[in-house]
Amino acid sequence: MGLETLFGQSYLTTRIDAVLNWARENSLFPMPFGTACCAIEFMGLVSAAFDLARFGAEVVRFSPRQSDLLMVMGTISYKQAPILKRIHEQMPEPKWVLCMGVCACSGGFYNNYCTVQGIDEIIPVDIYVAGCPPRPEGLLEAIMRLQKERVEKQSVLGSAG
Amino acid sequence: MNLLQSLLNLPEPLMGAIGALLITLGMLPVAAMLVLWERIFLGKLTQRPGPNRVGPRGLLQTIADALKLLTKEDFTPKDADRILFFLAPLIFIVPSFLVFAVVPFGHFGGTHGPVLIADLRTGIFFMVAVFSLHTVGILMAGWASNNKYSLLGGIRGVAQAISYELPLIFSFLGILILSGSMSTVDIIKAQGGGLHNWFFLAQPVAFLVYLACSVAEVNRVPFDIPEAESELVSGFNTEYSGMRFAMFFLAEYVSLFATAAIATIVFLGGWLAPFPEPAVITGSTLGYFFWSAGWFLLKVFTLVTLAMWVRGTLPRLRADQLMDFAWKFLVPVVLVNLFVTGLLALWGRWAVAGGLWLALLLWALYGQSRAAKAERRQVVY
Amino acid sequence: MPELVEVRTEGMVLNMGPQHPSTHGVLRLLLRLDGEVIKSCTPVIGYLHRGMEKLAEHRTYVQYPAIIDRFEYLTAMFTGVLYAMCAERIAGIEVPPRAIWMRTLMLELNRIASHLFWLGTYLLDLGANGLLFYAMRDRELILNLFEEVCGARLLYSYACVGGVRFDNPPSFERHVREFLKIFLDRIRDYESIVTENPVFLERVQEVGCYSPELALQYAVSGPPLRSTGIRKDLRKDQPYLAYDQVDFAVPIGTKGDTLDRYLLRMAEMRESLKIVEQCLDRLPDGNIRVKLPNVVKIPAGEAYLALESPRGEVGAYMVANGTDKCYRLKLRCPSFNHVQFLPVILLGERISDVMAIFGSLDVILPEVDR
Repeated sequence: MGLETLFGQSYLTTRIDAVLNWARENSLFPMPFGTACCAIEFMGLVSAAFDLARFGAEVVRFSPRQSDLLMVMGTISYKQAPILKRIHEQMPEPKWVLCMGVCACSGGFYNNYCTVQGIDEIIPVDIYVAGCPPRPEGLLEAIMRLQKERVEKQSVLGSAG
Repeated sequence: MNLLQSLLNLPEPLMGAIGALLITLGMLPVAAMLVLWERIFLGKLTQRPGPNRVGPRGLLQTIADALKLLTKEDFTPKDADRILFFLAPLIFIVPSFLVFAVVPFGHFGGTHGPVLIADLRTGIFFMVAVFSLHTVGILMAGWASNNKYSLLGGIRGVAQAISYELPLIFSFLGILILSGSMSTVDIIKAQGGGLHNWFFLAQPVAFLVYLACSVAEVNRVPFDIPEAESELVSGFNTEYSGMRFAMFFLAEYVSLFATAAIATIVFLGGWLAPFPEPAVITGSTLGYFFWSAGWFLLKVFTLVTLAMWVRGTLPRLRADQLMDFAWKFLVPVVLVNLFVTGLLALWGRWAVAGGLWLALLLWALYGQSRAAKAERRQVVY
Repeated sequence: MPELVEVRTEGMVLNMGPQHPSTHGVLRLLLRLDGEVIKSCTPVIGYLHRGMEKLAEHRTYVQYPAIIDRFEYLTAMFTGVLYAMCAERIAGIEVPPRAIWMRTLMLELNRIASHLFWLGTYLLDLGANGLLFYAMRDRELILNLFEEVCGARLLYSYACVGGVRFDNPPSFERHVREFLKIFLDRIRDYESIVTENPVFLERVQEVGCYSPELALQYAVSGPPLRSTGIRKDLRKDQPYLAYDQVDFAVPIGTKGDTLDRYLLRMAEMRESLKIVEQCLDRLPDGNIRVKLPNVVKIPAGEAYLALESPRGEVGAYMVANGTDKCYRLKLRCPSFNHVQFLPVILLGERISDVMAIFGSLDVILPEVDR
C-alpha cells in the first residue's frame, strides 16, 4: 500500500492500525470446520451456558468467504486434509486459524496410518487449544488470547497476520 | 420536506438530492442499530447475554462488524461473471433505499406538510414496484457466482418473490378502495382521528397477509429459502466476501425497516397517534415533528421486533410448501378480501370491517375445528 | 403454427459436503438433481476414518476405553460400557451390582443428553435457531451431572473392565433428582414449542416415509426402525445390565415418517427419566468394581454384545487371545446402516428434505467412518 510511503510510521498510520484491529478483533466471524468431538463442545460454546456472542464472534458463517476465523475442530484424516486446505485458501484475508483439540494440534493418540499429525503440516495455525476435547472455557480463553496476541499486534499497512 | 423547501427555497431536484443523501446517511445507523437489536433480542430470547463486550454494553458491536467487513479482502471467484458479480449487490441494495422516497417519517404540523421527499400520486405503487427489484439482484448474484448453491438460492429467490408479490399487492388494493388514493400521505390522513380509524382494523385480513408477504419479501425465517443456511450454506450470497457481503447484510436490514415502514403507513396510521391529538402539539411545528416521528418509529420498531421474534421461533418452510401457501392460500384469501371490500365499500367502512372480522372469526373457527378433527399424532406404547 | 421445440434440460450434480452445515461434519452426499428433486444420491464416507478398530489391537484393556469414547462422542457412555461388557463376558468377570445399576443410570442420562442434542440440531437443520439454545441449555444440566462424577463433560472414560471407574459423590443423588424435576417441565416446554408448531408439522409430516419391511432389509435399528411400528428394543428383547429389573415402555410410531421419529425420541426421553428415577431408588451399596490386577489380561475367547444406543443397535465383537490387548475388535454401529439407507429414502425428495430426513435418522459420522 502507498499509505506507508506517504506517512511513514506516523501517528496517522498507527491510529488506523488501532482502529482496524479493534474492529477485527471484536468481529471474528467463525467458520466451524468441525469433524469430531470438539465440534460438539463448540456447540456448547455458542449456546446459552457460555455464549460466544458476548465477544462479537456470534455470526457463524458456513461460507468460508465470509468468515475470519477458521476453527478446526476434530481429527483431520488424510482424506479430509485437502478439503481443509481448500477451505483455508477460500477464506479472504485477513484470516486466522484456531486449532482445537489434541487431534487437530498433533494427531493425538491417533498416531496411525490415516490421521494427519497436526494440521500445521497443511495450513498455518495461529493458536492451539489443548484438550480432548477442550472445555468451552478453554476455547473462550483461546479466542480472547487470539484477539489480544494475534489480531491486535498485526499491522494493517504491513503484511497481514 | 415542504417546510424545509419553503424555508430554503431551493429547486425541487436539489431538494430531492438532499433528501436522498439524508435517507442514505440516516439509514446506515438505523440498520446498524437493527442488527445490534436483533442480536440482543435473540440473545435474550434464547437466554444468553448477547453481545456485551464491544464498547459500552456492546453498543459498538455492529460498528466493529462494519469496519471489519469493509477492510476485508474483496474476492471474486475465478469463473464468476465479473460484471454481474459486481452489479448484483448494488441492485440488491438500491431498491431498499429507494422505497424511502415516499415514506413520510413524520409531520411538521398544521399546513406545513409531512416529512417526506416526494409525495407521489402513485406512492404505494412506486413502493411495491421498486421493492420487487430486489429479486433481480438475488438472481444476478446467484447466477454470477458460478456456484451451485448460489444458483439454487437465486432461483428459489425469484420463485418466491414472484409468488409473494401478488398477494402483497392485492392486500393493498382494499386499502386503496377505502382511502381512495395511492399517495402515502393521503392514506395516512384517511386514518386520522384515532385508533379506530386505522386500516388494520378495517382490513384485518389484508394486514395479516401483508405481514406474511413482507417477511417473504425480505427473505427471513420462515421464508428464508434463498439463503437457507442449513441447506444452501449461505444461498445466493455464498461467494460474496467483505464489502459486498456487507451490502447484502445491510440491505436485508434496511428492507426489514422499509417493509415495516410500509405496514405502518398503510395499516397502522403512519405518524398518527392512536388517539385524537391535542391542539397544543399539533400547533407547534417542531414539537409535532418529534411527536409524529416518535409514533412512526415506535410502530416500525414494534413490527421489526415482531419479525425478529418470528425468526427466533419458527422453522423454515420448504420451497414447494412456500409456493402452495402463496398460491393456494394467500392469493384466494386476498381476492375474496378485495371482493368483499369492493361490495361493501358503498355501505361504509364499518360494515366492511365488521364483515371482514366476522369472516376472519369464522375462518379461525373453521381452522380450529379442522385442527381438532385431525387429531394430534401420538406414539403407541 | 410454429413448430414445437423440445427444451433440453440437464441434471445437476451437487456435492453436499464434506464441509456443509448440515451433514454433521464429514459426510459427503453426491446428489443428482432435477431442479430441486433428487434423482440419485451416493453417500461418500471415510472422511473421519481414524483407525479405531486397528487401534484396539495396540492398546491394552485399560487404555482402550479412553479411545472408544471417541468412537461415538455423543453417547460416550454406551461404547465404553459395551467394550467393558465384552471383555467381562469373555473373562467371566462378575460385575458388582452397584456398578451395574450405576452403568444403567449413566446410560439413560446419556440417552437423554444425546436426544436433546439431536433435538436442537435437528431444529437448526430445519431452520429454527431458537430451540438449539434451549436444548443445549438443558443438556448442560446433564453434562454437569456427568462432570460431577467423572470430571469430564463429553468423553468420560467411565466404565472399565470389572465395573466403573468413579463412585458417585454424596451430592449426586440430590442433583439428579433436581434435574428430573426440572426436566419434566422442560419436555413440556419443548412440546408446546415444537410439537404444536404448524410450520414444524408441515415440514415433518409424511416426509421420509418408509415401510417396516424396507427398514428391516437395510438393518435399520433404533428409533428409525421403531417409528415404522416394529417394537424392537434390545433393552427389552435381550436385557442387559439392570434393564430387566426396571419398568419402562418402548414406544413405537405408526407411519414411519419424520414426525414419528421426532415423537418417539421425545417419548423415549420421558421413559429414560423413569428409568433414571428407578435406578436412583434402587441403587445398591457396595463396591463399584471388582479387584483386578494392574495388567488386565483376558483369556482367549470371543464375544458379541449389543446395546440399544440412542441411535440404534451398537454392537461389538471382540476376540481375545489371552494377552492384555484384544486380538480383534469389530464394531457394529447403527449409523453406518442408516447412511446406507439414505439413497433409498432420499429418492424423489427435495433438497430441503435431505436435511429433514437425514437429520431425523440421527446419524453421527465417526460411528460410520470409525
